[in-house]
Amino acid sequence: MTELASKAIVTRGLTKVYKSLGARPGPSLEDLNLEISQNEVFGFLGRNGAGKTTTIKLLCSLLRPTRGEAFVFGESTRTARARRLIGYLPENPYFYEYLTPRETLDFYGRLQGMKKAAREAEWEKLSALLNLHDIADQRVRSFSKGMRQRLGFAVALVGDPPLLVLDEPMSGLDPMGRRAIRELIVKMRDEKKTIFFSSHVLSDVEQICDRIGILVKGKLSVAGRMKQLLTDKINLVEVVIAGINEAVAKSVAPKSESASTTEGEFRFRVANLDAANELVHETRKHGGHLIEFTPVKESLEDYFVREQGPTS
Amino acid sequence: MRMLAIAQNTFRESVRDKVLYVLLFFAAVAILGSKALGWVSIGQDVKIMKDICLAALLVFGVLISIFVGTNLIYKEIDKRTLYTILARPVRRYEFILGKYLGLSFLLGLVTLIMAAVATAYIVSMGGTIDSVFIWAVVLVYWELLLITAIAILLSVATSPILGAIIVFCVFVLGHATRILVDLPPQLDGTSTKQIFEILYYVIPNLSNFNIRSEAANSVPVSLSYIGYAIGYGTAYAAMLLGLASLAFEEKDV
Repeated sequence: MTELASKAIVTRGLTKVYKSLGARPGPSLEDLNLEISQNEVFGFLGRNGAGKTTTIKLLCSLLRPTRGEAFVFGESTRTARARRLIGYLPENPYFYEYLTPRETLDFYGRLQGMKKAAREAEWEKLSALLNLHDIADQRVRSFSKGMRQRLGFAVALVGDPPLLVLDEPMSGLDPMGRRAIRELIVKMRDEKKTIFFSSHVLSDVEQICDRIGILVKGKLSVAGRMKQLLTDKINLVEVVIAGINEAVAKSVAPKSESASTTEGEFRFRVANLDAANELVHETRKHGGHLIEFTPVKESLEDYFVREQGPTS
Repeated sequence: MRMLAIAQNTFRESVRDKVLYVLLFFAAVAILGSKALGWVSIGQDVKIMKDICLAALLVFGVLISIFVGTNLIYKEIDKRTLYTILARPVRRYEFILGKYLGLSFLLGLVTLIMAAVATAYIVSMGGTIDSVFIWAVVLVYWELLLITAIAILLSVATSPILGAIIVFCVFVLGHATRILVDLPPQLDGTSTKQIFEILYYVIPNLSNFNIRSEAANSVPVSLSYIGYAIGYGTAYAAMLLGLASLAFEEKDV
């Protein structure tokens, strides 16, 4: 139990099969085994329909697992105690349209069991953090997507839960909004919170996550440290040379994977550093000079696409 | 605390619902129009007015209970507002009971307003209000509490339209449960009779709450009967809310 309690999230054989009439349903989530340490930022990736939201709803006890179990700081997710430790932001959060942000946060404070004075202090803290003061007394009905997301984040933080579970927190936001959420996540990490979030905006994940997991069709295909998954291996080298003619380019081209021309420059894509150096050396003999030399490492996107297999 | 927060919110939501005001408007029209029927029955003005006012209280209360009640849980699921609520340390039964309590407050307020309007009108027409009339109002409210519990149970289990139809049928049959057992002898031994018998035991006997003709005629009703009716309604509603909580406990939202 102590080992369980030391982890922010542990799932064991977590499986969800949706009941439906007619056709035999396949599992939406199959045998998920995850361990997420405290103060970790975990990015949960996968295509639409891979089971990300199902996992998150299971963690927040909105869905009942078909098999398996999940724990948050050692507490079974079926208990109210576990839910006290989770701040949940759903994808496209919905709140009562007839309430204002001030009333909304007060309501969630009451659900969390906070006293009036504590709720008022919480409003001051969260409205400052998420810049809600200017919309404090407007009905949620009139809110834009970005405003709703800010309010949603504030609601997730009510009661200062140590674990934040965020479902697609950046989806549908403009670049400014995305950046604001990204900065918030980093800030929460600095405040020693654990953050579990799903996304398919890979650049966001790449910038802020310690570890990632990739779900493919309801199964966890891989989970690990970002640095381990994305090795420092150089996949290819891009070399741009100017001052040579087509004939020279062609004579050295067989040594490179491809060559193309733009404005009198030749761009070569070479398999490794040695081959690239040799290519530069060869072209220099013919009066060429080096414009650009770029070793290309694997990005999360390359990795993601590779893990997902061919697109269908 | 958590339950009260949900109840208050439900109350606030319903008070801001336009349907409520449309229904209140028609209720007022019915109450004020009761005088018209009083005219056609010479010397019976006040009696008819009391009867119609109490009936209007019940009918409009039931309409609110059906329209709001069958939507209550369904709307939360449909609009996904309950995601962030149930992810909090709220127990599922607290959510159901909170919703029920909120709507019960609202119905209490509506009943109070309609009864006050009716009382003022009856008094202004030279009638008097006695304790039986007040008890009749209380039992109308208790009937509404029971109907609301049925509506909430159906709101967990079905769509609002189907739920509303079922609640309406229960309301109509519940006022005429005798019909279900006083069947013509030709039906003896048939499955139709069995089905009606089952319905007789399942459907609450809403005529228990009906002391409206006693109120109209100022015939006293014993306190023990009123106690029985209130106890019956409370027990029935508690059972239905228990079922609703059980059904909601395992529901995927």
